[in-house]
Amino acid sequence: MSMSKTYHPLVKGLLDGERSLADLPPELRAEAEEAERLLGAVDRTPVSLSPALDARVMAAVRRRAASPVRRAWRRLVEPREFELRLRIRPWIAWGGALAVAAATALVVLGRPSVIPAGGPTPTRVAARDSIYVRFVLYAPGAKRVAVAGTFNQWDQNAAPLVPAGTSGIWTTTLALPVGQHQYAFVVDGERWVADPGAPAVDDGFGRRNSVVAVTAHAGRAL
Amino acid sequence: MKHAALVLLLVTAIAVPLGAQSDVAARLAGRVPPEVARAVAEIAAGVAARGLPVEPLVQKAVEGGAKGVPSDRVIAAVRALAARLDEAAGALRAAGLSNPDADLVDGTAYALSQGLSAAQVRDLARAIHAPYDAATTLRVAATLSALGVPPEQTVQLVEGVIQAGGTPDDVLDLPSEVEAGMAHGRSAAQAAQGLGRGHATGTPGGRPLVPPGQAKKHKP
Repeated sequence: MSMSKTYHPLVKGLLDGERSLADLPPELRAEAEEAERLLGAVDRTPVSLSPALDARVMAAVRRRAASPVRRAWRRLVEPREFELRLRIRPWIAWGGALAVAAATALVVLGRPSVIPAGGPTPTRVAARDSIYVRFVLYAPGAKRVAVAGTFNQWDQNAAPLVPAGTSGIWTTTLALPVGQHQYAFVVDGERWVADPGAPAVDDGFGRRNSVVAVTAHAGRAL
Repeated sequence: MKHAALVLLLVTAIAVPLGAQSDVAARLAGRVPPEVARAVAEIAAGVAARGLPVEPLVQKAVEGGAKGVPSDRVIAAVRALAARLDEAAGALRAAGLSNPDADLVDGTAYALSQGLSAAQVRDLARAIHAPYDAATTLRVAATLSALGVPPEQTVQLVEGVIQAGGTPDDVLDLPSEVEAGMAHGRSAAQAAQGLGRGHATGTPGGRPLVPPGQAKKHKP
């Protein structure tokens, strides 16, 4: 149930003091009188606020402003103006810029670029004596796949493969030192699987290890 | 003075194996069952006493432990590897390499494990020279043998590439080239034979090297 009542606009004008009761048409007079009666019942006594209210409000505001957590947060997020004045010689500026450019170039060149698909795939030099090699295994339904070998002390936790969506293909890219390496994939932490895309040799325990050779120019699945 | 030298020699002969034994046991602790660690440490002590590298033994034991291979099988594999290290050192000595490094001994042992004889390894070791890395070249030979190339043919193929002035990468490429030939239905021996002819004529893979646009003779 609604407690509000909508009066005729002419009645509203009366209440606003824009017109008198006599200005209203006869059919609206009863409504206007009711509205005036209601308005007259309103307590128009001036409200006086407690003098302590201002003090309480200001104390609350100061408490919020003084909170160290809040201040720290504001420092972090609120935009501030800084003025930085540098006075350096031009050759220092140019030297610094060149050093930054050289460092950026080194970082960019050290990263693998396009990695071709399939088997243990070589890419490019990662460091002086390392080559990025991509390992790929098709293992649909596997929950975990890792590659373990002579390059990581046969540690099955050292080099996990990452699933490529839901395709069942697992991949990882490792920087391997130059030389020949033996390895195997570990599926779900218990099944050791030779790489079907690389040659395999007897591991001495009656199983097979896959073999990859890494040279200074590229890696090769031997 | 003679007595002092003898004592020093004796102390060294005892200390080296003991040091190797404790070091190996410490490295294997927690990675293989205790009985495997003990057995491998003993085998390693003997190997170290003969001046041979113990690292391949440690790695083989670690591999077996990681794969969950039964203890007796791991110990047997390590023992067999120790014997091959001895044989490898002998083959290298016969090739004139009296003080080979650990990697070369390991690579030679790997070649022996894949079917090459001591005499074949010796011959191959003699043929290898800079810029070829001896250990890597022997591992390539081992892999060729593992692929099914007869050991004698393996030695001829690798030696042939070296004599023809192929690059170290050409040597490294041999197994993958053999594999490529096998993928086309040839046997390992047939694939290796084709490669041997190709490298002898400077045309790896048996294909004549013809520059682009030069396949036809120019008309006068």
